[in-house]
Amino acid sequence: MSVKYTPVQWNANKWFYDAIMLASVAAFLWVFLYLTPQFDPATNPQIHNARAFGACAFVMLSVILCIGPLARLDRRFLPLLYNRRHFGVMTAFVAMTHAGYILNWYFNFSSSDKYVGLLYANSSFGQIAGFPFEIFGIFALICLLVLAATSHDFWLKFLTPPVWKRLHYLIYAAYFAVAAHISLGILQDQQNHIFTVLFMLGAGAVIVLHIAAWLAERRAPAAAKDGAWHEVAHSSDFKEGFAKIATLPNGDRVAVFLMEGKLSAIANACAHQNGPLGEGKIIDCLVTCPWHGFQYDVRSGRSPAPFTEKVPTYRIRLENGMVEVHPDANPPGTYVEPVEIVSQAPLMGEPA
Amino acid sequence: MDTAQALVMLMQGWGIIGALVAAVFLVIGIDRIDEDAQGAYIFRPLLIPGVLLIWPLVLWRWWQIESDAAAWAARYRPVRASYGPAVVLMSLGIIVIVIAGLSVRQSWPDEIAPVQLSAGADQ
Repeated sequence: MSVKYTPVQWNANKWFYDAIMLASVAAFLWVFLYLTPQFDPATNPQIHNARAFGACAFVMLSVILCIGPLARLDRRFLPLLYNRRHFGVMTAFVAMTHAGYILNWYFNFSSSDKYVGLLYANSSFGQIAGFPFEIFGIFALICLLVLAATSHDFWLKFLTPPVWKRLHYLIYAAYFAVAAHISLGILQDQQNHIFTVLFMLGAGAVIVLHIAAWLAERRAPAAAKDGAWHEVAHSSDFKEGFAKIATLPNGDRVAVFLMEGKLSAIANACAHQNGPLGEGKIIDCLVTCPWHGFQYDVRSGRSPAPFTEKVPTYRIRLENGMVEVHPDANPPGTYVEPVEIVSQAPLMGEPA
Repeated sequence: MDTAQALVMLMQGWGIIGALVAAVFLVIGIDRIDEDAQGAYIFRPLLIPGVLLIWPLVLWRWWQIESDAAAWAARYRPVRASYGPAVVLMSLGIIVIVIAGLSVRQSWPDEIAPVQLSAGADQ
């Protein structure tokens, strides 16, 4: 959470996460560099290093891309999502090291500038075999650098979460570019088919998980329409401390919470990264975003002092036991009086 | 060679403009548009690479905030609708490029003599 920006926000979980990540990267590189036999006698330490860092970057990117859909499909993976930005920044550094080894070996010994040489050495754009696959690597690296360089919380607030998210959709273009870089590059000359199989397993896992997460999200029900007000659910369906999420006609999602027998509605999108607030649980009057732990008072949409984040709130009413929300959002941080449920039957989660 | 040199010069020019934007934005602009940045200086060097890379976006958002041009509700509208097309395009693209790559692989499935694809670029 903001208040004043700091370079990096650390806590015990992040130290632990980063330690595991760095140890895994070191272990991968060590195994690749010192335990994997070199099948191609033409390789030298420079090329072997480049391949080790390139393979490591691919594996890291695949793992990063698997974490998102895994967390959507199964909430037990959410802790992996919390600190993913450090993982992403590390991946950009590993990819940059790979590019450095390539540049300083293949393009460093001619009279022309090495960057010009990289762009000029192969211009066979009209064929698949021998296509200048480096161009895909350059594009992917630029994408990874953009994502890493804009990972600080300042960028989220400055660009706004929707713009930031659109920018970070570059990760999908980058992963395709990496797959093209590998398919038209190292796979053309690969003597060891183990990497070919690992590459296809990694890319396959990313594809399957993302398609599964997308299909699961499509199956989520939309709210029924009823004039200006929109039905969310029957009051007896609410569970104390939790929310029901509804999609409004304009595409916005609203989270309606039951807290101490009263209903409150706030935007489902967290002010930080538009995380799903409606999947969070209320503790001490505050709902905690399941993505990064930002907290809001569900009655006002405000983070507790000294934090300053705010989300829009919604008017809410009860009609014959049906909970309805008005689709026009109130400005962020607007207090709305909670609506009490007068029930004959005990609510879900309450003792009978 | 001319195209490659022009591209490298373009990147250098992009970086120089980005450096100028970074200097002005991180010294003057950031204090004007974000109260959380006022008095916080140590994190600002971390923003320099981002400004160098996406300075047009920085200038656009800076102008939007200064002129109060952006609707507040847009900030709370997640871009979920783009997720499906993005992952479908990515998945199809990967499948196509992997099949294309493997189909032209000269050492796949059996070892065959390599064929020179072109005469090579003029040096």
